[in-house]
Amino acid sequence: MGVAAAATLDYDAELMLRVKQGDGTSFGVLLEKHRASVTHFVYRLVQEQAVAEELAQEVFLRVYRSRASYEPTAKFKTWLFRIATHLALNWIRDERHERGTERLDDVPADVPARQVSDRRPSVEDQLVYQVKLAEIRKAVAALPDKQRAAVLMHKYEEMEYAQIAKVLGCSESAVKSLLFRAYESLRARLAHMGRT
Amino acid sequence: MNCPIETRHTEMLVSYTAGELDQETALMLERHFAVCPACRSTATEQSVVWKALDAWEIPPVSLDFDRRLYNRIDSGARPTWWERLTLSFRPMPLRQSVPLAATAGLLLMAGLLLHQPGPVVSFTAPPSHIVRADQVETTLDDLDLLRQFGPPNSAESVHPDAM
Amino acid sequence: MPCESRRSIVIQFGLCLLLAPAVVLPARAQQEADRPPAPFVENSIDRWNRMSPEERERELAKLPPARARLIRQRIKRYNQMNPQAQQALRQRYQTFSQLPPDIQQVIRKRLREFRQLPSARHPAVHQEVEQLRLLPEPQRQASMNSDDFRTSFSPQEQQIIRDLSAYLPN
Repeated sequence: MGVAAAATLDYDAELMLRVKQGDGTSFGVLLEKHRASVTHFVYRLVQEQAVAEELAQEVFLRVYRSRASYEPTAKFKTWLFRIATHLALNWIRDERHERGTERLDDVPADVPARQVSDRRPSVEDQLVYQVKLAEIRKAVAALPDKQRAAVLMHKYEEMEYAQIAKVLGCSESAVKSLLFRAYESLRARLAHMGRT
Repeated sequence: MNCPIETRHTEMLVSYTAGELDQETALMLERHFAVCPACRSTATEQSVVWKALDAWEIPPVSLDFDRRLYNRIDSGARPTWWERLTLSFRPMPLRQSVPLAATAGLLLMAGLLLHQPGPVVSFTAPPSHIVRADQVETTLDDLDLLRQFGPPNSAESVHPDAM
Repeated sequence: MPCESRRSIVIQFGLCLLLAPAVVLPARAQQEADRPPAPFVENSIDRWNRMSPEERERELAKLPPARARLIRQRIKRYNQMNPQAQQALRQRYQTFSQLPPDIQQVIRKRLREFRQLPSARHPAVHQEVEQLRLLPEPQRQASMNSDDFRTSFSPQEQQIIRDLSAYLPN
């Protein structure tokens, strides 16, 4: 990781230490910086918008409430995503237990319309997109929990193996193994899209 | 080079398709693709996966996310019994306590010098000064809450989400 | 000095002491009536509205765009309120903001809890708060200790009613 990126991560920890000292503004800065990435990460894990926002808020609430005991033993983002992953995976397990089977055949209500800036999508384009999106969501949802979390951190947060390992509480080689199996599954389920 | 699939290093193919390999390694891999259909096919499939995951658009975060979060923080903000007990005795950091003490001293002196019992001085508008947007937001939140209990049948008693 | 003179002086002095309040109090009341009314303190939205557009935008630019946009919308809605309703709300806010901070926090907490009640329960709880606020304290307490009150409202609703009827400014 580059020096600039490392400096950025240190700065987040520095901000959190200021929050520990009672500086509410620094908490606002951290929230501003990480709100979207945490919410989007949790959303892709749980795939329900309202739940994702509740859980994301819970993440920041826990960050705030634990400010008194905060120690920068890991990078701030690692700690943040560890909380987020823990909460999201717990929710998934609780939901799975309640629902019995995962209902991913229904198209969820919070699917956003396709944003195309340069031309209006036709109805057909929209339908094609919706079908594709449903397949992508299903493919990700079908991954075992830790594989799912690892892929989302690797792909969307561009986290390195070491950082993902710290979030998931496992070794780097375990992360490599998780990603290997996860991408293998995703290729099996989504490769046909390249032929359309 | 050794075949990534045979040596169970497919993460190299994943990294290649993500554009994360250095130029030299990427070139070596491309030369390997010419003689290894399995690796070539896996790399192509992985590119499709990346494209599909890139296409996964998600709803934006709600506009009132922060407001709801701060409400949750406020509603849960209750000092522990120990904090309440020790609040008076907790030492203030020096960088806060010194200017605070100086300000208190100045105010006390000013009060003693200026105190003149007499009729109430009529209010004059404060000088115009900058108000922070988050201060306004807090006031709006309070007004929002207070509006729930407006006088009966008044235009004020509306759905709290109206503000 | 003859005893009778001294006695009459004492009696007269005592009468003066007894009658003094009757003279002084109306004068004081008159003084208070003449005193200008308690100053109306501007709230932060009033001060915000007096800032220049550039100053306002500068402050809003410090916040995330989505949050700034929401604040603009909310201020606009506040400014577009019926003038009488807005004035009444400002008065109430002024009273609220002059309460001790811990009381303000209790009111905020209970109002949020009220908001989160099922909407079907709002009229009943609202009405009960308004009725109890009008009662003298002993009667308010008696009403809240009644079986009727306890059976009509859930424990959470009872707490909301208890605190809002006690502290919510008119």
